Amino acid sequence: MGGSASQLPRDLLGEYQELTFLTKQEIVLAHKRFSELLSKEERESILQKRVPKSKILTLPELRANPFQDRICRVFSTSEDEDGSMSFEDFLDMLSVFSDSATSEIKSHYAFRIFDFDDDGTLDRKDLEKLVNCLTGEGDETRLSESEMDQLIENILEESDIDKDGTINLSEFQHVISRSPDFASSFKIVL
Amino acid sequence: MEPRWAQTGRDGPDDDEGGQQRPPPSLFLQLPSNATLRFRGSVARAWGAALEEGEPPGAPQERDGEEAGEQESVPLKQLPLCMAEKRRLRLREQQAAWKRSRWEQWQVGTRRMWGQVGGTLLYAQVWRGSLHHIEGHFGTGIQSYFNFLRFLVLLNLGGALLTVGFVVAPNAAFEGLQLNQTQKGPNSTVISSCLQYDPTKRGLVSYFTYFMDLLSGTGFMELTHLFYGYYQNSAVHFVGFSYNIPLAYLLSVLGYFSVCLFWIVRRAVHLLKRSLVSENGALNTYSNKVFAGWDFCLGPGTAVHMKHNSLRYELRMDLEEQTLRRLMAQRSPGQRLGLYGLRGAVNLLVLALLGVAFYCVYLATEYSQRDQQNSGLGQQGLVVGLLVAYLPSIVITAANQLVPLVFGLLVRLERYPLSLEIRLTLLRTVFLRLSSLLVLLFSLWSQITCNGDPDADSCRTCRYDHKQHPCWETSVGREMYKLLVFDLLVVLLVLLLVEFPRKLLVTHGPALLARLWGQQEFLVPPNVLDLVYGQTVCWVGAAFSPLLPLLNTAKFVLLFYLKKLTLFSNCRPADRTFRASSSSFFFLLVLLLGLAIAWVPLLYSVFVLQPSQACGPFRGEPTMWSTLSAAIDTLPHVAREFLQFVGSLAFAVPLFLLLCILMFYLMALAHSYSRLVKELKGQLRLEGRDKVFLVTQITELS
Repeated sequence: MGGSASQLPRDLLGEYQELTFLTKQEIVLAHKRFSELLSKEERESILQKRVPKSKILTLPELRANPFQDRICRVFSTSEDEDGSMSFEDFLDMLSVFSDSATSEIKSHYAFRIFDFDDDGTLDRKDLEKLVNCLTGEGDETRLSESEMDQLIENILEESDIDKDGTINLSEFQHVISRSPDFASSFKIVL
Repeated sequence: MEPRWAQTGRDGPDDDEGGQQRPPPSLFLQLPSNATLRFRGSVARAWGAALEEGEPPGAPQERDGEEAGEQESVPLKQLPLCMAEKRRLRLREQQAAWKRSRWEQWQVGTRRMWGQVGGTLLYAQVWRGSLHHIEGHFGTGIQSYFNFLRFLVLLNLGGALLTVGFVVAPNAAFEGLQLNQTQKGPNSTVISSCLQYDPTKRGLVSYFTYFMDLLSGTGFMELTHLFYGYYQNSAVHFVGFSYNIPLAYLLSVLGYFSVCLFWIVRRAVHLLKRSLVSENGALNTYSNKVFAGWDFCLGPGTAVHMKHNSLRYELRMDLEEQTLRRLMAQRSPGQRLGLYGLRGAVNLLVLALLGVAFYCVYLATEYSQRDQQNSGLGQQGLVVGLLVAYLPSIVITAANQLVPLVFGLLVRLERYPLSLEIRLTLLRTVFLRLSSLLVLLFSLWSQITCNGDPDADSCRTCRYDHKQHPCWETSVGREMYKLLVFDLLVVLLVLLLVEFPRKLLVTHGPALLARLWGQQEFLVPPNVLDLVYGQTVCWVGAAFSPLLPLLNTAKFVLLFYLKKLTLFSNCRPADRTFRASSSSFFFLLVLLLGLAIAWVPLLYSVFVLQPSQACGPFRGEPTMWSTLSAAIDTLPHVAREFLQFVGSLAFAVPLFLLLCILMFYLMALAHSYSRLVKELKGQLRLEGRDKVFLVTQITELS
């Protein structure tokens, strides 16, 4: 595990266990992986450092994820909005994506991730961007206009309960609660 | 990307598709229903908040405070706040903690302890690393197969412990210790010809006979702990305690079945809770596919590319299906009649095909059994002898592989939507597999009981065919043992002779071949059905062969590693995503069906058939159940009366009526709930319109 300087103090470990859904082993592993992203000198003061987004996105779990930018954006508490993450942001992210996180908190953060324009609702443009993320990068992988319209109509038909043309948080959580695959797919384990 | 809240002042109200004018979003964001979104972030980054210039940044914090007051009962980790906020809340909680009573502190302490125990247990699951590895490369769909396999391994291990612990181990111990065994069972009215049973070979035996015996469960194998025939109908006395072997055998078999039933039902209920839908489940498919479509566990590599492709393919297929359905609803009556006629003809063809397959299985079993009795096994040569012994298994496996291919072709003629096509083919395949097993059992039964006719020539003396089957339970157990071994052999052979060469040909051979044939695809449904079939075979045979669950455990463990090997070496991810959750429940249902089918021969043998008189722990008894009723008779008076009452009709019929009433009540309740949900949804729609109207009015007035 390295020298004693790179280990977490015990009370901090206990605090993290209480404030996140991660187990002790998972927190220790996260600490190890996070410190690998920093240079040797920065590892001493791991708790105060922020890792830039480009480095976070080199993690294999995030590298191929089409929502990588949104994930960094949502979990980052940086004042400059550059998507850089501190260790505690990293732990928060792993906690939400862990196996034992509740469905409510997962759906809350899923909503935040899918809300590309950060306006608090999922409107047509957000849904269109979401579907494009799912089908892949590149022009030949996108759905055609008519297919996209038909798809978004279907989604709004199913999820928009008050028919205002957008999906707000409670409607989203309602749809997710009836979706059996969500909990198993919205998961990142180191 | 500039957050939209910064643009609100500049844009005018948008027009949405209904032609209604949408008021500026800023007012919407101040509504209480959106207030829950403001938790994340420190003071400056209150997300989604209508932070128009001038609003004090302290506002989110105040809201935090009042919300936090309501949420003290919620554990901190469930709050969607950043770590700094949670820490502050925790500090506040700790300050209030000294005011808490002892009881609450103890509660918090135990909750923390259970959390830690749960955490370590989760980490200690067997094969966790492998499953995680598979998930990362191939997604949750294929991982669900390996999850199912792991569940079956644990189920079999538990069952094996039961049977081995109560039947095999005590027997071995008693023999090892050479304890006194008192024979039970009436031995006065026994005809000596029924007692003729000697499976050992006489004279010079060639070495390969032993090998053949090992593979087909005859000869010396019949006299091992593996089969029913070896056990004695006796009670062993030691340390003032009498261990009744037949009773232990019967109870352990019944207990094994009950434990399996309980475990599977518990898991099915657990899965059902996760996939429960209040109304029509089909209403959710698009949202489910889009919102829960991406597997976040996928690591970099070809899997991601494949996943994009499969999602796009699936969405396109569903949209096409929808347009097709709309067209189909507009068909003329003449066309519809033609289509129904075609579907009826295809169904008849399917039934005819099934009938032919079953008849082949029946003939093969007859021939194999008769041949084994008539000619000695050592006289035909190794290969022919093995072929004859394994003939039923070969025919069943061939039918199981070839007939579903024909089903796949036929179902395309019926022009159903794609999802229904897949389900229908799956259902037909399930029916084929489980029924072929039943046909095998039926043909065995007709041989053993002379087609159910106790006055036929061979069955008159002992009430079963004692010439062909002196120890009929061992015969049945032997067939199941052969099916198990053959299944494993087939997997090995297919792996070596089909999958690896295919991979070699496709990667190193001509490009045309690669394009035509393509790399192997790991299809989950046929593999899961294979597992269910194997498990059903084990269940059917468990009553007649106590070591079979243990063998099955070993087989499944081996299967896990073989399938994992072929997955990583030979397979590419599937074209069509496999929905793990809804199908997991379906596969458990099929497993339950297999268990139900396995109960039938068990109950029939225990209650109706006469046990062999030449072998086994029930020799001399009229039925297997009579040991249990004899044991009940020795119980004290109260217990006996109670058990007799529970088993009588006076208890069963009122219980049945009560359960029916309960079921009708629950159905009515569910129906009224779904109606209530529909009404509430309509009301929500009206409220939504009211809200938009009011906010428009407010913005116009202000």
